Amino acid sequence: MSEFYEGMAEILEIDLIKISSDFELHSGEAAWDSLAIVSTIALADDCFGVMLEGKALAGCRSIADIEKLIIILKKV
Amino acid sequence: MNKTFARIKDIAIYYPQKVLSNDELASIYPDWPAAKILEKTGISERHIAAIDQTAGDLAFEAANNLFTQGEISASDVDFIILCTQAPDYVLPTTACILQDRLGISRQAGALDINLGCSGFVYGLSLAKGLIETNSARCVLLLTADTYSKYINPMDKSVRTLFGDAAAATAVIAVDVDQSCGEFIGPFVFGTDGNGAKNLIVEAGSYRLPKTAGTAIEVTDDSGNVRSRDDLYMNGAEVMSFSLNEVPKAVDALLVKTNMSKEDIDFFVLHQANKFMLDALRKKLKLPSEKIPILVEDSGNTVSSTIPIALFKMRKQRQLIEGNRLMLVGFGVGYSWAACILNI
Repeated sequence: MSEFYEGMAEILEIDLIKISSDFELHSGEAAWDSLAIVSTIALADDCFGVMLEGKALAGCRSIADIEKLIIILKKV
Repeated sequence: MNKTFARIKDIAIYYPQKVLSNDELASIYPDWPAAKILEKTGISERHIAAIDQTAGDLAFEAANNLFTQGEISASDVDFIILCTQAPDYVLPTTACILQDRLGISRQAGALDINLGCSGFVYGLSLAKGLIETNSARCVLLLTADTYSKYINPMDKSVRTLFGDAAAATAVIAVDVDQSCGEFIGPFVFGTDGNGAKNLIVEAGSYRLPKTAGTAIEVTDDSGNVRSRDDLYMNGAEVMSFSLNEVPKAVDALLVKTNMSKEDIDFFVLHQANKFMLDALRKKLKLPSEKIPILVEDSGNTVSSTIPIALFKMRKQRQLIEGNRLMLVGFGVGYSWAACILNI
């Protein structure tokens, strides 16, 4: 997960130390916009070989929500 | 025994004068500072056609630049292919108008093809077909688009990425011993019309004519404003499509040609933007020096990105005779194509 968290820190433009499952994407601290969603699709594909859907990502409230989507896709 | 092969003789490009910088965009979209736009997209500026400047005008300028470079002249051309999604008129064909404007022979053929980011590779396949069946000796392959005219000024998701430009490529017949092998090709192609809705200008043609209703602007969740008259791109879906299909097309062409990635000197992909190309480079497991990213001064110029990249690589003396390239165009349609190009 560390490579994924490093990637998320870069995408959200915040320090890696602040990234955890609990991190709130809409807290105002992070740049969770359309560009971040597109970048997260590429990151998840690179780290886990799964293709996340933009619509599902847009509905995520926290990094835990993104991780749940990844886990579901990995099981398929 | 001699055989006729198609070969790229020369390439010229044209950028419209007006420049749209990241500083100007950042002043409109405060959430996206100029440095962030450059870091993410790899683009520092894009060129924008004037209000009265059409894709046909850009193609005209690129063709004149090609003739000025001196490798071919207008009198050599016996076929014109124009790839554009912004024709001068509904009819006639813009390539026919360019035949007259450029002083090209009345015995030349001319046609438009309506493709976006895959268009240059498709154009090369048509040029090769014409030349290697002895139907033409010198094909003027023009790519030109003015997506800026389709973009809502308040839609940062596309306004930061796309620029207007044209390229003119001379594809000529060379008669050489058949053991030399082909210079352009083989090709692989792909189409998935189910993706049409994800990159589209919905209104303005016959399925949905422009009306006061189609011009009503709406704001999406990211704060981007657009109407059905404007360009819409679902960036997430287009990224998924690209990450799914481009590596498959690359692999299919390698299998078809019995080659490995090590046999290719450069993979010149459609220059969509830096984050797309970085993601594809990682997925293709290629070193950065094999995937040029050449969008900084132009942005995504649709079907012109690959010839513009080739023009820049030639100018920077990155390309030498004997180099083997793989070209991959992909995007709106969805449509994609890849080919080998031997320099």
